Amino acid sequence: MENKVKSLIEAAENAINSAVTNLKELDDVRVKFLGKKGEFTTLVKIMGELAAEEKPRIGKIINDARTQIKNLIDDKKAALKAQELQNKLASEKIDVTLPGRKIYRGHLHPLTLTLNRVKEIFIHMGYTVEEGPEVETDYFNFEALNLPKDHPARDMQDSFYITEEILMRTQTSPVQARTMQKNNANAPIRMIAPGRVYRRDDYDASHSPMFTQIEGLVIDEGITFADLKGTLDFFCKKIFGETAQIRLRPSFFPFTEPSTEVDVSCMMCHGKDEHCKVCHGSGWLEILGAGEVHPDVLAMSGYDPSKVSGFAFGMGIERIAMLTYGIDDLRLFFENDVRFLNQF
Amino acid sequence: MQVSISWLKDYLNIDCAADELAEKFTMAGIPVENVVRAGEGLEKVVTGKIVELTKHPDSDHLLVCQMDVGEKDLIQIVTGAPNVEVGQVVPVALVGAHLPNGQKISKGKLRGVVSNGMLCSSDELKIEVAPEDYVNGIYILPDDTPVGVPAAKVLGLDDAILEFELTANRGDCFSVYGLVREAAVLLNETPKFPAIEVNEDADQNAADLIEIKIDAPDLCQRFSSRVLTDVKLFPSPDWMQKRLEGAGIRAINNVVDVTNFVMVELGQPMHAYDYDEVVGKVLNARRAVAGEQLHTLDDSNRLAKGDELVIADAEKAAGLAGVMGGLETEITEKTKTVVLEAAAFNPASIRRTSRAVGLHSEASGRFERGTNENNTIAALNRAAQLLQEMGACKVCSGIVDVYPAPKSQVKVQFTAEQINKRLGTDISEEDILKILKSLGFEINDADAAQVEPDSVIDKISFAAKHLGKAAKELSQNASVDDFVKNIGSTVGELMKRGVPAISTTYEAIVPDWRNDVRLMDDLSEEVARIYGYDKIPATLPKGQLQGRQSDFQNFVDKIKFTLTGLGMDEITSFVFTSEEMFDKLQIPKDSELRRAVPIMNPLTDEAPLLRTNLLCSVLENAARNFSRKNEDIRLFEVAPVFFPKGLPVTELPDEVQKLAGILMGRREPKGWSQNSADIDFYDVKGIVEELFAELSIERYTVEVGEHYAMHPGKTAVFKKGREILATVGEIHPSVTESLGINKKIYAFECDIATLMKCAAKKFSFEILPKYPAITRDLAILVDNDVEAGEVEKVIAKSAGKFFNEVTLFDVYKGDRISADKKSLAFTIKFQSNERTLKDEEADTAFKNILSTIEKTFAAELRS
Repeated sequence: MENKVKSLIEAAENAINSAVTNLKELDDVRVKFLGKKGEFTTLVKIMGELAAEEKPRIGKIINDARTQIKNLIDDKKAALKAQELQNKLASEKIDVTLPGRKIYRGHLHPLTLTLNRVKEIFIHMGYTVEEGPEVETDYFNFEALNLPKDHPARDMQDSFYITEEILMRTQTSPVQARTMQKNNANAPIRMIAPGRVYRRDDYDASHSPMFTQIEGLVIDEGITFADLKGTLDFFCKKIFGETAQIRLRPSFFPFTEPSTEVDVSCMMCHGKDEHCKVCHGSGWLEILGAGEVHPDVLAMSGYDPSKVSGFAFGMGIERIAMLTYGIDDLRLFFENDVRFLNQF
Repeated sequence: MQVSISWLKDYLNIDCAADELAEKFTMAGIPVENVVRAGEGLEKVVTGKIVELTKHPDSDHLLVCQMDVGEKDLIQIVTGAPNVEVGQVVPVALVGAHLPNGQKISKGKLRGVVSNGMLCSSDELKIEVAPEDYVNGIYILPDDTPVGVPAAKVLGLDDAILEFELTANRGDCFSVYGLVREAAVLLNETPKFPAIEVNEDADQNAADLIEIKIDAPDLCQRFSSRVLTDVKLFPSPDWMQKRLEGAGIRAINNVVDVTNFVMVELGQPMHAYDYDEVVGKVLNARRAVAGEQLHTLDDSNRLAKGDELVIADAEKAAGLAGVMGGLETEITEKTKTVVLEAAAFNPASIRRTSRAVGLHSEASGRFERGTNENNTIAALNRAAQLLQEMGACKVCSGIVDVYPAPKSQVKVQFTAEQINKRLGTDISEEDILKILKSLGFEINDADAAQVEPDSVIDKISFAAKHLGKAAKELSQNASVDDFVKNIGSTVGELMKRGVPAISTTYEAIVPDWRNDVRLMDDLSEEVARIYGYDKIPATLPKGQLQGRQSDFQNFVDKIKFTLTGLGMDEITSFVFTSEEMFDKLQIPKDSELRRAVPIMNPLTDEAPLLRTNLLCSVLENAARNFSRKNEDIRLFEVAPVFFPKGLPVTELPDEVQKLAGILMGRREPKGWSQNSADIDFYDVKGIVEELFAELSIERYTVEVGEHYAMHPGKTAVFKKGREILATVGEIHPSVTESLGINKKIYAFECDIATLMKCAAKKFSFEILPKYPAITRDLAILVDNDVEAGEVEKVIAKSAGKFFNEVTLFDVYKGDRISADKKSLAFTIKFQSNERTLKDEEADTAFKNILSTIEKTFAAELRS
């Protein structure tokens, strides 16, 4: 009897380890040995023929053997399952280098992106964002800014006229006068006015009949030229990076006195490349015009120049976008080629 | 304005290099655009004398020259120039020269004859302003020119030219004098201007020969003239020609050259009249009569508009004052007697005239910026002196000068404190005065120091009280020592309290050449630019204000962010459009949208109007993209359109902010596993619906719509009450065709203000359902022309109180149903916030829906 059990274990071990390659075969083995009609059932039946004193011992041997075989089967089952999962995963392998499924991603226009950056800087500094009409009166566009008719400085801005007295605004500066006239006299102002402006320029890589300007105006008691310099220095560092420097050159605008052109240090070569394509070796890039508001301009819009003073500045958004993105042709902004737009 | 440095050096010691001087000018507000060095490339070009000239053996037009170039041996050069003669001194490019035009000179033979160099023309030397004869032939130098010296030196090309881009306010710097005055301040040197002296001919009195009148004193402030007799015309001396060349002015003859020279030197434009041609021996500055003939130097007959200033003789206008002279009185070979004019004209009038006739000259440019009325006499004398020095004329005695209202001095009061307060600086009073004086301002010390009374009143009363007490004590036999001590302590106390800022008020007399200084603020700029903008501190304004955008601006930003989130690209388009574009868009002839604001002077005739709809701009950009093979595009823009209040325009038009967008091409980007179908109506409609959801625009209706540029069967209008929120549809195939696009385009248009008005101001969240929903699917067959939207409305109305939502999930047309029918399948959701619904409740509601639908739309339940 004991030998029989032993050989049964051997047979089972053999079957499990060498013959079985999948769960189905393993189950066949289980049925063969441990099933209702399996080998062990047969053994147990035979056990009935044993002497009574032998029964407990042999019974234990059989039970142990059954447990042993069951463990073997369970182990094999686990191994087979693991193998099977592995095979399944292997068979499911995909080409992860195939591109991901694409979704249309929209883009804000680079001028909007640039304008948003500029607006953010000034809003944080306490400026409001003002607006004015794009079709303007000669009065607001020129006269209220100290540019009477036949002033030679009007040559700087060739205009699109609708009538003798109405034109496409050539600058966002008229919003200065509009804002002052809307306010109570001498009320403090910190504003920017972004918007489209129009000049009768031929359309080429550096000129456009329409472009975007942003005007700034600060009025309060005791606003100085030094405040203008500090404000623009702060702005340039925010927009062009902390290493940016500014340089002020005396200039002339009818609506400011003193007036200045403002250059920013070249962010491409930092003044180190004689052949720099951006600054042409000068190390400086002209980016805006500014000055202390002319007392006549304050007075014309109901502010008292003996009580308050202010500064104003104006800059081109395209210019800043071109410098920050390295764009060399102004027309790209207005052609709206999606291959251009999709880069921002 | 351009001028050679050597001209400036005539009157000022300039030690620094040209670039450095240019930088100093620029940083003081006199911008130098360019420094041009003419001598570059002339290193191996010397002067040479033609010693011998023979014909080339094998050529009709070539000559063989033996040249003395200052070396031991003559050198042989073959030339084709027509204007050479023995004895002439000419520029010779030696072997090894690399000329400014790129030409390299090497040893060679011309038709077999050795040639060791080249004789140069003005072109080859890059002399832009040369006497006319020398442009094509060889540049002939004066006979007395030394031989063998660098040609650049002789030609004055060792010089640098400064090209200025002067600002409109600095008319005074359109002159050598003006620039020298500025440079003198910047270099801390003293200018030495030439003494002007004229030897008048006592026999002839100018006033006997010519009468000067000003009939239009508002347009001509001053008219001064001299008469020159025995005038001989010849080329002006070499030095003068060089100066003029440096200033970009071509030499013509001595009289014209001198008037130009004085204009550049003193900034006073001049004109010379042939006295014998002046009818009636009178020159009158008067207004032109409308329709009057103006026969000008360019030999054209212009008709006067009537507001121009002319200089007229007894018969006719002899020139447009300050703009162009008249042909009849022009200086010619025959001229014997000359009337010189130096006048001051109204800048605005000159500007109008010069713009009207399209003539911009050196003279008109200066008059437009304003000349110095006090300068006319000096200019006449300087011109007379120069002509006399070259033996060109006699000068009649006296100047005929009409100056009805002599200019008065401009005086500006200021204090150092005011200037520092404007600039944010702390420049000492001494330095401020020094700067202003250096610029030619005369400073009058104010009679007495003026003290702000309010700020010092308590100090004065304090001082009076204590000093009075001390004086009283002194009178009562107190010791002098005590008195001094008392005064000392009083002063000490005053110091402690703060000595009031006693700022002296000064009066600056503006030099007569500066017409741009009128106010203290102008003085502050003068101080700042000489002090140096770079030395001004950088501070920030004190105090705080609240920064913000308007609600409208925030709303626009939200639209832009939402649409980009929905996969659309923002564009920026021009606002100009045309009738032709309106035609392409099929805008009806009688539509309001045809009433566009016209531009008087459009850039091109293709775009003479301001747009009345934004769709035209967006479509234009779609067409441009399409022509560049960008066929899958989704564009939008937020921008204004313009509606005139009336035509012709008399007041500002209404500017209305619009949103327009277009989609075309594939629904999904092209890819290996992407939907390759093209966009259709429901994509664009979906985008508008998502946008509205984001903007909290709710409870709107969508109806069949109409739009001039859209497909009549594929246009929807989104409405809320009477407000039109959006028009959405497929662009009409004829419109796409006229735009050159052979693909379907879907578009939407909205009015921003309407969207903002209809957007819910407040948003509150809805509680999530606590009890499960029951759904029922409903598939029906209806006639093709039944609108799904209408069916949905009826479902919602008839679904009872537990109705939650209806979703159309399938639309079918095809073989399995009859051709005039379509199948619509809805999922209807029922829900209660109080309890779990029973199936029977949903069934009852469903039955009610079905019977209503069957009745309303003759629908059949699809099994």
